[in-house]
Amino acid sequence: MKKNRGMIIAFLTPAVLIFLAVFLYPIVRTVFMSFFKIGSVTDSFDLWEFVGIANYQKLFGTPIFIAAMKNIVKIWLYGGIIVMLMSLLFGVILTSGIRGKKVFRAIIYLPNIVSAVALATMWRQYVFAPDYGLVTSFFKMIGADKLAETLWLAPENSFKALLVAYCFGMIGYHMLIWMSGIERISPDFYEAATIDGANKIQQFRYMTLPLLKGVFKTNVTMWTVSSAAFFVWSQLFSSVTANNATIVPVQYMYMQIFGAGNAVTERNAGYGAAIGIILCLCVVLVFTICNIFLKDDDLEF
Amino acid sequence: MAKEKNVKDKINWKKEARLAPGYIIIIAWVVFTLVLLGWIIAASLSTTKDIFAGNVLKFPTGLHFENYVAAWGSGGVATFFMNSLVYSLVSCALLILICAPAAYVLARYTFLGNKIIQTGFVSAMGVPITMVVLPLFCLVANMGILNNLFASKVTLIFLYIGINIPYTTIFLLTFFANLSRTYEEAAAIDGCPPTKTFWKIMFPMAQSGIITVTIFNFINIWNEYFLSLIFANSDELRPVAVGLYGMLQSMQYTGNWAGMFAAVVIVFLPTFILYIFLSEKIIGGVTGGIKG
Repeated sequence: MKKNRGMIIAFLTPAVLIFLAVFLYPIVRTVFMSFFKIGSVTDSFDLWEFVGIANYQKLFGTPIFIAAMKNIVKIWLYGGIIVMLMSLLFGVILTSGIRGKKVFRAIIYLPNIVSAVALATMWRQYVFAPDYGLVTSFFKMIGADKLAETLWLAPENSFKALLVAYCFGMIGYHMLIWMSGIERISPDFYEAATIDGANKIQQFRYMTLPLLKGVFKTNVTMWTVSSAAFFVWSQLFSSVTANNATIVPVQYMYMQIFGAGNAVTERNAGYGAAIGIILCLCVVLVFTICNIFLKDDDLEF
Repeated sequence: MAKEKNVKDKINWKKEARLAPGYIIIIAWVVFTLVLLGWIIAASLSTTKDIFAGNVLKFPTGLHFENYVAAWGSGGVATFFMNSLVYSLVSCALLILICAPAAYVLARYTFLGNKIIQTGFVSAMGVPITMVVLPLFCLVANMGILNNLFASKVTLIFLYIGINIPYTTIFLLTFFANLSRTYEEAAAIDGCPPTKTFWKIMFPMAQSGIITVTIFNFINIWNEYFLSLIFANSDELRPVAVGLYGMLQSMQYTGNWAGMFAAVVIVFLPTFILYIFLSEKIIGGVTGGIKG
């Protein structure tokens, strides 16, 4: 043990030092910042003015921040339901023994490796485009002229458009997580169930679903983490200034600290920090709820 | 792929018919994805006039490769592209040099703090980037780095490395933990010091895990947006994602849609090509890094 100490220290130091610099120190400082009024994000500590929880109180009294929180919760909840159901459906179909599974799987996952900016542009400038767009052409083709005239990127529809486009990109990833779970269930279980006279739907309801509890937890965790960082899509689906329909907390924070725009009422980096903390607490809350309701320790397979 | 199919037994039509609803759903989705990508590529070879006339797939005036030339040159994609390439390649290489040794000792040795470091890394993967970005910006800005081009590039690479350290380390840790200890024992008996054993024996043996995690890091860093938006404050520094966003904003005024689609294609092409050749490895790695 002792003779390895030098090696352990030498091997770990770079990774741990960078980790401390990029994660631990900033996290601690952000927590402190959220209780102070800070004129500029670059101000040194002696210029900070302690305000207690006033930053949080003010944030929750700001209509645009409330709108941003509502939007992100809607994206997490509605988007989550859509993505979880669709990805589970695709996962089940792909593991049911269809041909060309690998090709289908690769194409469904494909959007995940494309830059979000590029993907969002494709949706905005092609799928939802008013003149030559895919959705418009499709509705024209089937004769639904009323729907074809809908402006999907107008403020009243942009949130729906954003949600659909975002979900499209996320399904492949969650499908892979479901599939890895489904493929780990032993085929013997199904054989036994078939012999006992259970049909496919019963097998899915009483075997596959309960055994996928752990995988579901992983999926929810990953979905929550990516929702908390939700930003690019909002920025691309809103115009130069933020728009209440698609604004999310990270975007609001970005405008508060780094950008000009109609959302900025008062320069205070403490707000930005408080937004970070609020998002982090939301993630922790979801993790905790997941751990309470989705205990999978009792299931071994 | 084709060979594999020929070897398969004859088509069982009854079974296929039962699976028909599944086929329909999946094929509809796949067709949509391909239409989306195909149309973008077609539009990038078309002209703005044809796009608005709905003639994208007919190419009435032939293929317009000059869209790419224009986007690459005067559009400024060349700079963004080279920046992204440098950032991604340098960060990926350094990430492996930093994380592989750390992952190895964390997987192999028991010592005070091992568990804490692992827990720290795992938790960091769930921390929203908004929790760390403000103090980092403060630090970097106060060091006066943002006015110096080279120092800014180094800073960006440092940040890309930093945010990817937890994921890379944990991924490789699982990989090292699954390697057999017999090689190290044999090496130790032969008098090979542990550090040398790592670099000469264990590091090469982890090759496939290292390649997988590097592909993921490359894709992540290539597509990274938020940090680049904040820390890359001039066009000479911007990577493709942020550069493309800037181009989109200006395209709204110039109205060169074909050029814009060409820029979009250039931006996703590298990860797309990587994916065409390595999709099996990438897909295998998605679920390899996380616990089910």
